[in-house]
Amino acid sequence: MAMTKASPHSGDGLAVRLRGVSKSFYGVRANDSVDFDLAWGEVHTLLGENGAGKSTLCSILAGLYRPDSGEFLFDGEPQAFKTPKDAFAAGIGMVYQHFRLVANLTVAENLALGHGDLGVRISQKDLEARAAALGERYGLPVDPSALVWQLSVGEQQRVEILKLLYRDARVLILDEPTAVLTPQEAEQLFKTMRQMAAEGRSVIFVSHKLHEVIAVSDRVTVLRAGKSVGAVATADASPKDLARMMVGRDLELPTREARDSYGDAVLAVKNMSVLGDRGNEAVHDVSFEVRSGEVVGVAGVSGNGQRELAYGLVGLRPPTAGTVLLDGDDVTATSVLDHIEKGFAYVPQSRLGMGLGPGLTTEDNLGLKAFRNPPFSIGPWLKAAAFKEQGATLIDRYDIRGVRPGLPIRLLSGGNLQKALIAREVTLEPKVLIARSPTRGLDVGATEAVRNHVLSERDRGTAVLLISEDLDELLALSDRLVVMFDGRIVGEMPAEDATAENLGLLMGGTVSEAG
Amino acid sequence: MTTRRLIVEPRGLASARLVVLVPVLSVLAALVLGAVFLALTGENPWTVYSKMVDAAFGDSRGISETLISATPLILTGVAAAVAFKMLVWNIGAEGQFLFGAIFAAGVGIWLGDGLPAIIALPLVILAGAVGGAFLASISAIPRVYLGTNEIITTLMLNFIALAFMNYLIFGSNSPWRDSAVSTFPQGRPLPDSGRIPEFFNRLDYGLFVAIALAVVAWVMIEKSRWGFEVRVVGDSANTARYAGIGVPRKILGVFLLSGAFAGLAGSLFVAGPVGALDPRSLDLNLGFTGIIVAALARLNPIAVVPVAVLMGALNNAGPSLQSIGVPPETVTMLQGAILVFAVAGEFFIANRVRRPDKETTVATTGEATA
Repeated sequence: MAMTKASPHSGDGLAVRLRGVSKSFYGVRANDSVDFDLAWGEVHTLLGENGAGKSTLCSILAGLYRPDSGEFLFDGEPQAFKTPKDAFAAGIGMVYQHFRLVANLTVAENLALGHGDLGVRISQKDLEARAAALGERYGLPVDPSALVWQLSVGEQQRVEILKLLYRDARVLILDEPTAVLTPQEAEQLFKTMRQMAAEGRSVIFVSHKLHEVIAVSDRVTVLRAGKSVGAVATADASPKDLARMMVGRDLELPTREARDSYGDAVLAVKNMSVLGDRGNEAVHDVSFEVRSGEVVGVAGVSGNGQRELAYGLVGLRPPTAGTVLLDGDDVTATSVLDHIEKGFAYVPQSRLGMGLGPGLTTEDNLGLKAFRNPPFSIGPWLKAAAFKEQGATLIDRYDIRGVRPGLPIRLLSGGNLQKALIAREVTLEPKVLIARSPTRGLDVGATEAVRNHVLSERDRGTAVLLISEDLDELLALSDRLVVMFDGRIVGEMPAEDATAENLGLLMGGTVSEAG
Repeated sequence: MTTRRLIVEPRGLASARLVVLVPVLSVLAALVLGAVFLALTGENPWTVYSKMVDAAFGDSRGISETLISATPLILTGVAAAVAFKMLVWNIGAEGQFLFGAIFAAGVGIWLGDGLPAIIALPLVILAGAVGGAFLASISAIPRVYLGTNEIITTLMLNFIALAFMNYLIFGSNSPWRDSAVSTFPQGRPLPDSGRIPEFFNRLDYGLFVAIALAVVAWVMIEKSRWGFEVRVVGDSANTARYAGIGVPRKILGVFLLSGAFAGLAGSLFVAGPVGALDPRSLDLNLGFTGIIVAALARLNPIAVVPVAVLMGALNNAGPSLQSIGVPPETVTMLQGAILVFAVAGEFFIANRVRRPDKETTVATTGEATA
């Protein structure tokens, strides 16, 4: 890899050196005396739970916030960036979680935007050629003439990174970049990150996914409750060590305890087919059972019919063929409301897009499925007191934090949203619980809570269908696993026989047990 | 430091004080803008504004006329508020108001004096609800089942409704037209049994009907199970579907209800102060003004009542300005300015604007610490 820019290694050879940096918002210390060293040419992870102060620290580095106190050296020189522009001029750029692209301009135009030295005439061709060359070099392929709104989220992220490389940023901050990527896209991003580091640039990677952190970074600085807990080389650290540093206690994510016998089949699916959004058959001839007290995991790469499977089961999209039986009763063609009343609980993947009413209060959301019945409504009238009472009970029991009277639920954090969603579904004592990627995007603490709720439902005798792309989670929670590929079930095995390897092969569609 | 920009951030939960303060400030800002405009055109704003206050509230006649103007605005305001709350963009209150008036006048004339008022009057008023809902259904049904854009269909139907009313009076010998008058065509007067009794100058009991209906609308939305479902659909149709709520029926219901409220405004106006299907007395943009009322009331049906009185006062004050040589359209301009400031004010209710590094206010955002 050609070194594009000789990195000036002055003084201690560090790109960034922070000592005792603090930053408060409204009296809350988001960063409390943080120390952070970033060497040239390394991928350095900032690890921490939601709210640990990672984003604040990044924003200080990128010039968006100024520290209240502490020392900030960039390349050996004291810095006081006033705006992100200053930081950028010095060579620090950031890819935010919410992209800052102009949707109606092309990729090439976005790259050139804000670049002062373009001259009077701009050649569209030149811009596109430069963009294409840059994309090629860093393994970030994007069509330079495509309009940004036409791109997938993963492609838009590539444009954001190219924007930094286009202006030759020497320190690149990526704030939770993998949250929006498929595993394959993430893999490609890691290669790009390694390449940038090999050229002498420094990459700050923000994440709370431990296996990613260990896979891609050289060193990790852990933040907890705004303080820097310490920095370790990833070579010396196990996921367990990192989790302990992050949470501050030993943390063993809950896994199921094997059991010898299960109850009767509660949910029986026979030859079910469900259409996709474009009228194609997204689920084809699928059959399986879930017994009382059993977690059946559905593994598969995203987009292989998992969403339609769930929709077909809960009545959101009536199956075009086959039957769904609940305790022997045919519920195939009944409405969503019938499904709810008969004991189907559903935790959809999109919390604010489907599972919760974003603008409604937490109390209203907790009553979103029970509101038709007493005590929540008497005759045609809603009983606010019952909502309040249930709200208080569930908020306390499920440790939902950040709730204030009248506050729309969308302002809660992801973990608390998911706790509220699960609290509502579980409190109805369902017969079947269908959960899609229930811990996606959650930090370790919230993941632990959600997993415990899923397992306690299993132990209560609920039939649980866990649809997920997270193999670790599937292996930890499932009694039995089925694998979906291209709308079909291509494999089924008891948990004891399942490994990440054999599941992975089935998920890729290269091997098929079912033929 | 001096060049740093202001920071805009979402304000999770606006205080009750702010929710009241912002609309009040919107009105004041519109009045200030109006004053500047008046001053530039060589008028003394103080004189103009005191004339307006005097005309609207200066004596018992002014007050009763103001309340007469406010009565239909309460209901067109509620019509818009109910629909907008659920993201149903019914811009057709104007046409639905006229159809309410047409239906009410039609029923009143058809019944004649044969029935006692206690039976005839409710029928006349209800006919207005049916008329408004009928016109709304022409937009609502294609919206719900075919996904047509209701902004366009309701807006266009306003013109059709107006043309239809003009046809009934000016273009045909319809039963709505007064055959006894051969000079300038006029609407046939409603029989006395179809008129709402007056109690204070020309002010009739329709005012109380309108206020009661505003309260009913509020109770339906805030306190009923149906209203809860409506609020869920308005918040997120996807979530409503997921929770087993029938989204098309809810949207249809709200749309028709909105039309019915606008139609009731028409029937109360016809059965009240106007007394006939009289185009000159009905073509006053009362439906469009209802949209301003709803916006300023932040879509709260109860808050619609005082806002409607304010707008009614402005409407009532308009003609009086002519006596001091000021165009009555000044009032229309003020109403438009109020709408602009009210909509802009929403931004300050939803967001907080602060100077960077001045962190003295209360915490909200998760962005900073996420």
